[in-house]
Amino acid sequence: MHADELFKEFRETSITEFFRKNRAHLGYSGRLRSLTTVIHELVTNSLDACEEAGILPEIYIEIKSLGDSHYRVISADNGPGIPVKHIPDVFGKMLAGTKFHRNIQLRGQQGIGVAGVTLFSQTTTGKPIRVRTSTGNGKVNEVELMIDITKNRAEILSNREYSEYWRGTEIGCELKGVKFSLREQGPFEYVRRTAIANPHAKIVFVDPEGRKTIFERSSEKIPKSPVAVKPHPQGIEVDDLLNMAKKTKARKVSSFLISEFSRVSSAKVKEIQERVDFDLNKNPRRLKWSECEQIVKAIREIKFLAPPSEGLVPIGEEQIKNAVLNILDPEFDAVLTRPPKTHSGGVPFQVEVAVAYGGHAGRNVGDGVKFEIMRFANRAPLIFDAGGCAITQAVNSIEWKRYGIRDYENSPFTVFINIVSTHIPYTSAGKQSVAEEKEIIKEIRMALMEVGRKFQTYYSRRRRAEEREQKRQILMKYSIELAAGLAKLANKNEDEILKGLHKLIDKRMLDYITEEVEEGREEKEEAEMDDLFIENSDQ
Amino acid sequence: MERKGIIRKLKSLGEELVNDIKLEESPKIRMPQRSIGNIIFNERENILELGDKKSTRSFMNVAHSRKFMQTILIASKCKELVSRNKTASIRELYYQLKHTIPGTKENTFDDQSESDPLIVDLETALGVLREELHLKADDKGTLIGKIKIEDSGDVIDCSKLGRSGLSIPSIVEQYKFVEVDAEYVLVIETGAMFDRLVEEKFHLKNNCIMVSTKGQAARGCRRLVHRLGNELKLPVIMFTDGDPWGYYIYSVMKAGSMALAHESKRLGTPSMKLVGMTMTDIDTYDLGNVTETLKDVDKKRIRELLQYPWFQKKEWKKELQLMAKKGVRIEQQALASKSLEFVAEEYLPEKIENNIMLP
Repeated sequence: MHADELFKEFRETSITEFFRKNRAHLGYSGRLRSLTTVIHELVTNSLDACEEAGILPEIYIEIKSLGDSHYRVISADNGPGIPVKHIPDVFGKMLAGTKFHRNIQLRGQQGIGVAGVTLFSQTTTGKPIRVRTSTGNGKVNEVELMIDITKNRAEILSNREYSEYWRGTEIGCELKGVKFSLREQGPFEYVRRTAIANPHAKIVFVDPEGRKTIFERSSEKIPKSPVAVKPHPQGIEVDDLLNMAKKTKARKVSSFLISEFSRVSSAKVKEIQERVDFDLNKNPRRLKWSECEQIVKAIREIKFLAPPSEGLVPIGEEQIKNAVLNILDPEFDAVLTRPPKTHSGGVPFQVEVAVAYGGHAGRNVGDGVKFEIMRFANRAPLIFDAGGCAITQAVNSIEWKRYGIRDYENSPFTVFINIVSTHIPYTSAGKQSVAEEKEIIKEIRMALMEVGRKFQTYYSRRRRAEEREQKRQILMKYSIELAAGLAKLANKNEDEILKGLHKLIDKRMLDYITEEVEEGREEKEEAEMDDLFIENSDQ
Repeated sequence: MERKGIIRKLKSLGEELVNDIKLEESPKIRMPQRSIGNIIFNERENILELGDKKSTRSFMNVAHSRKFMQTILIASKCKELVSRNKTASIRELYYQLKHTIPGTKENTFDDQSESDPLIVDLETALGVLREELHLKADDKGTLIGKIKIEDSGDVIDCSKLGRSGLSIPSIVEQYKFVEVDAEYVLVIETGAMFDRLVEEKFHLKNNCIMVSTKGQAARGCRRLVHRLGNELKLPVIMFTDGDPWGYYIYSVMKAGSMALAHESKRLGTPSMKLVGMTMTDIDTYDLGNVTETLKDVDKKRIRELLQYPWFQKKEWKKELQLMAKKGVRIEQQALASKSLEFVAEEYLPEKIENNIMLP
């Protein structure tokens, strides 16, 4: 798809001022969270743009410290670039994104994205953001802009155009009242998780100390571009219906419903007609709120075919496996993508899970490693509000002990979960936690139990092998001393005794393996008999 | 047993083990069990004996591997000592054998408490004595009184050693009793009480030999008291603190210990009696205000003693139950609350004279 085409769907919605007063809704609350949100918006924007344009993304993120709570963030990508006439819309207008009016599975679902960064930057520092972009047509534009918050419109402060053959977008902005940290909720962890869920992307991250981390690409496959699907009637709200009715080209409500929604046939329209007290042949632009309410109520009473699932683009088992191996380098992993299901009466979704054990799996805390849950929604990491999230709830409801992980909370163990859906039911506008829909929880549990079983098979085998090896090492270690002692005691050749002992040990190890295969149970140690009663009388 | 016989026993143990390995079997050592389940109290002779139960230490059992290796190192070192006709202290033995196992950070022995019990294992496995393996422990215990002892050609007059007395060595087999002028032997638990009685010249005034065990008695001390009682036919009387620990020291002197049950016949003195401290002393001598309250460990130990077959005589059961009931213990030195001389001039002479003693 060409860049111009991409951006022609921009439409206006003036709520800039509303969000200025409610910036917490955008994720700009708290010093660490605000910084992570900025990185999230920039990375998401780049990934979505690259994918829609069919480009393998290369993203560069740098955070520089400028003073106490004061940072500069630079992000750059090799994406399609932004045609100069769309720059004010992309960076200066809330809810103007390409996704807002389409029912499509994308990371930034609600299109409040990168304009929020502009707004946050200008309200904390008073400075504009700087954008350098080119669609690869030989012209590069460097623009400085701010948002006129009363008009929900970008104000271009400067625009320098020059010739250069380069394609991509680079954004630079200053932020105050934020804080960098390597903690779980920080930008680094956000980027690391993004890299795992997006194996086709190469991401370079430079932290304020100048440490550079490169997350290499582990897949050359650009994810299939998600298809915009018409919304399914179930799940529609009165407000949405009214808005859509105002914009439709259809002349009758009946044809509006059939053409703008999926799974609505003329037979279904008849069923709706039976339940409402007005004629569905009327002009949709004349629909009143109360009439829309009737339609929504009717829809809820009628059964529809499940929505098509071609709108869903899972990462895929192979891709996840590559990413997990690439970034976590675990001793063991198991990956599973479940078939699509629906939640909330008809919204399609799909669950993907992976477990990784050992290597770099788990979360480093001080001197130890702890269990970690990596939550994703449409490949975007969910970092905050873990407690109230359906994913966390589902993971914690699994009895990991049953799968052989005794102390899972203190194990080098990572659980990866990605929920893919055209509509993720978030608990709040912060989009950091998934509502506890029972279908979603059930799917996650099913998936985890299946990978849990795979894990168990591997893990118990490994544990037995470890125990066997430990025993072998104990025997080998002492056999050296024993041979020396015995040689002196019996006046025999030390080497021959040692050889004999090694032969014995090898034979014993073979016995262990046979026992394990035959009986599948653990070797039981003979009871320690030396329960001696030692007094200190013997000096 | 002669040195040659000991060397032969050690060597044939080694040969058996090498043979096990040749036959592709785990090398193993059989020895009598020394846990309480295999201790028998011989009521007729009033000594502890080992039963017939055996335990096997096998190298291929990883729970035993380290101990097995250590036992062999000790056996091999003992063979060397006997061959060279040298005697080492058990601490020297520990240091001779302690080293880092090649290719590891582990030591053959980490502490002397690891090697000491294995020496006993070897004694029982081979049926030999520690001194026959040319091992000895530190001197512990003191003797004073009118007795002349010949040791390696020298004659020691134990009444002419000032206040310090004779330090009792670990091995006393070479001692010959040359001349004795004593009516009985008094064995005293604490060094402090021994010193008190020496200062009061109790041994001279009462014509006895005094021995201090200084806490739990070492083998040398037990062997010497055994010989004084057996060879010289002297009555032996013990004087300990009035608590479960003192009473247990008494029982070891008298009947032997569980750890060395195989040596009870050589170390025990079954005819021994206990003069004090007893619970009845508290009332008799009005010592109620100088007792100490029993701690939880003391109470636990009392319950343990009451389980042992060799504490089942009615006098002892009564004594222990009375202690538990009163909830107190009494030390030897509490007698000083009367006066320093009280113990030497009134308490001991009176009780010994009237035979107010526990069996």
